[in-house]
Amino acid sequence: MKMLNKVAAAAFGLAMLGGPAIAEFPERNIQIMYPWAPGATMAASQVIADAMGQKLGVNISVVSTPGAGGVKAFETALAAPADGYTLFDGYVAPLVLQPMQGNADWSYTDFTPLWSATSNAFAIAVRADEDRFADVTALLDHAAANPGDLRYSPGSAGALPHMVAAKVMQTTGAVAQLVPYPEIDNAVRDLRGGILDFIVINPGVYNINKDDVKILSVLSTLDRSSETYGGAPLIGAAGIDMGMSNLSPMGWDWWLVHKETPADVVATLQAAMGEVVNDPTVQKKLLDMGYVPTLFSPDQYQEIVGPVAKELQGGIDAISWEKEKLDAL
Amino acid sequence: MFDLLTLGAPLFFTWQAVLLTAAGIVAGLFIGVLPGLGPLMGIVLMLPVAFHLPPIPAMGMLIAIYVGGSAGGSISAILLRIPGTPLAAATLFDGYPMAQKGRAQDAIGLSITSSAIGGLIGGLVLLFCSPLLAAFALRFGPPEYAAMALLGLLTIAVVSEGSTLKGLIAGGFGLALATMGTDEFTNAYRFTFGNFNLTSGPHIVPVVVGLFALSEVFFQIESGNFLASPNIQKLRVSFRALRLLAAHKVNLVRSALIGTLMGAIPGAGGDVSAFISYAVARRMARPGERYGEGAEGGVVATEAANNGCCGGALIPSLSLGIPGDASTAVLLAALFLLGFFPGPELFRYNADIAGGIFIAYLMGNIVLLVMGIVLVPFFGAVLKVPKAWLLPAVLLLSTMGTYALQNSVFDLWVMLVFGAIGYLLRRASYPLAPIIIGMILGPVLENNFRRSMLISRDGLNIFIERPISATILGLVAIMLVYAVFTILRGHLRHASVVNSE
Repeated sequence: MKMLNKVAAAAFGLAMLGGPAIAEFPERNIQIMYPWAPGATMAASQVIADAMGQKLGVNISVVSTPGAGGVKAFETALAAPADGYTLFDGYVAPLVLQPMQGNADWSYTDFTPLWSATSNAFAIAVRADEDRFADVTALLDHAAANPGDLRYSPGSAGALPHMVAAKVMQTTGAVAQLVPYPEIDNAVRDLRGGILDFIVINPGVYNINKDDVKILSVLSTLDRSSETYGGAPLIGAAGIDMGMSNLSPMGWDWWLVHKETPADVVATLQAAMGEVVNDPTVQKKLLDMGYVPTLFSPDQYQEIVGPVAKELQGGIDAISWEKEKLDAL
Repeated sequence: MFDLLTLGAPLFFTWQAVLLTAAGIVAGLFIGVLPGLGPLMGIVLMLPVAFHLPPIPAMGMLIAIYVGGSAGGSISAILLRIPGTPLAAATLFDGYPMAQKGRAQDAIGLSITSSAIGGLIGGLVLLFCSPLLAAFALRFGPPEYAAMALLGLLTIAVVSEGSTLKGLIAGGFGLALATMGTDEFTNAYRFTFGNFNLTSGPHIVPVVVGLFALSEVFFQIESGNFLASPNIQKLRVSFRALRLLAAHKVNLVRSALIGTLMGAIPGAGGDVSAFISYAVARRMARPGERYGEGAEGGVVATEAANNGCCGGALIPSLSLGIPGDASTAVLLAALFLLGFFPGPELFRYNADIAGGIFIAYLMGNIVLLVMGIVLVPFFGAVLKVPKAWLLPAVLLLSTMGTYALQNSVFDLWVMLVFGAIGYLLRRASYPLAPIIIGMILGPVLENNFRRSMLISRDGLNIFIERPISATILGLVAIMLVYAVFTILRGHLRHASVVNSE
């Protein structure tokens, strides 16, 4: 009996010692900190999370942690252990923009990338029955001739859509009253109700409000962006150079983990996400929602994210210019 | 209306959603039975679990706890003359005398069946009215939302228990808490004290757990009697109550409708609706019914009303995003955490989710009807659990639930601080519900007011130029006059008592 006990104790001891080494990641549910309020864009992250969760055999919940222009979500994820169970939905605002503005003390190089997720261009939208402005030139001309007469919303103040819209308005001398909303989804209601004159929309929100809005211009230099808005004209077609090109004027996200996350955990997550974003079914789902899978692999992270910072400075300056103009009204 | 049900059915009729809704009813009933706990605490404790579930199983479970908890409070009122929740305070008027006469079994049966059928009636009104209200609310803009938030805040302050002035102060405290975090318009930090945990203000869950659960634990500790275990009459399963209830059809429907109406007014709440419907039933009773001495109608009136109220409270919550009471405020927080904005947009963009929630509510009440009767023998056993076991369990669940929400130790500190604040405020007879409503409605009020001012071309006139906003503000004015009148009357009465002494 004693011998049996010893054997059992030894087996138990070995099991305990071996436990952590044998246990394979992931053993429990994973969460990804999404930096904005719930809305159409969160649904795109949910599509990737669901598919990736299925690959890994656990549930991946997308946790909306809005606040401080995306910084709250990053801070919350940074406070969690570097064990791969807390991921960052690395949108351009908290990843690049907020550090540039001195609101966060990290750089994009402080994270390990999994894969890039999606990109989406922004567009200027008016009510479907709007008859005052035939095209974007008419709208911007009116705003230039009557500063502060029009009301517009880019969703939350200081975020990328606001920056891109401000840059276009600065380029054309147009001035419209900014009305911030927590998410552009909320502003659509007031556009429909005639309270707002135009909004800066994203493809996800456009897709579910197609009947209520009309796209005047897509704020991108890439032809494929036009496709996500039913073939609406790009801003260049109106002869406007907004000084931002390729990914710079677009919303995009990379999924990231802590720099200190163990290499085998990173490899497991990268492999799962790589499979998911390259899966045609997932891609179709995302495209149907208006989000274009960007398909940049982890080793392209530096070359893609690095140059964006420079062009964004123009957008930050444009917001300051807009503030000056509005304060002077 | 039926489109919503069709869309929601595939989401609800999964084993996970159905089982969790049934489990929520059982958990809610037991939480409601235990004196001091209630549906709000049940919802709060299960919130971190819900957070990791798909939306409809999660909301089904939480709503079922809300429904079960609202019904369970009557059992301790009937058996021990201690209402398990404030909602059941009016049930003891006739429930306890019934038990004294050896009819505890009937009283409990009537209270469960009235709750379930009252809840179902509330659910039908919810199903009919919410989409209509949501469609109407599509015409709402920032001025209307600001006016609605103001109305909700004033109502809860005026109607909540205790003095109106204290209600207003508590609501003001909630509003002040809501200013913490990041300013939505300038991205500036307000009262964050350099702590990133406060960049969105304190999280609503630790605040609610602290204010309600922890303060209750402190109170119970203070009152002693840790090992007391009451004597409970033996109870058994019986469906006789359904037959008894048939004699109170009119009372049942009337009380359920009163409850639903009161629930739909933000801030009015279930306890108020139970007292009102009890008063109405008593006035309309036949002479021989002897209300206050064990009348069946008294139990039917209060219980149908306080569960009808649940359906009512969900109407403004789901269709406007304006919570009807503290429990629905936390349900809204849960919906938001699950990735959905309550309000007209919920019906427009996520009609399946809205439909699934409606089905969960209706099915919850049907489960309540069955489980409430089947589980009757166990309620007595639960009531015998001494505080020495119960309080550590509540403390443990509160701590685990709060921590699990964001894996944040900071949240535990928030819970502790608000536990202390809740205890002190309750000792000074301040109502706590207005604090939560203030926290939820604060950003709605502030941001929509500022948005209105940016949109307006004519300053504050935007609020009276728009007919809906003007009408709501008219109601706000009436409410304000009523509040001032109540406060002055209280002072005059106090002065006359002092003079006569």
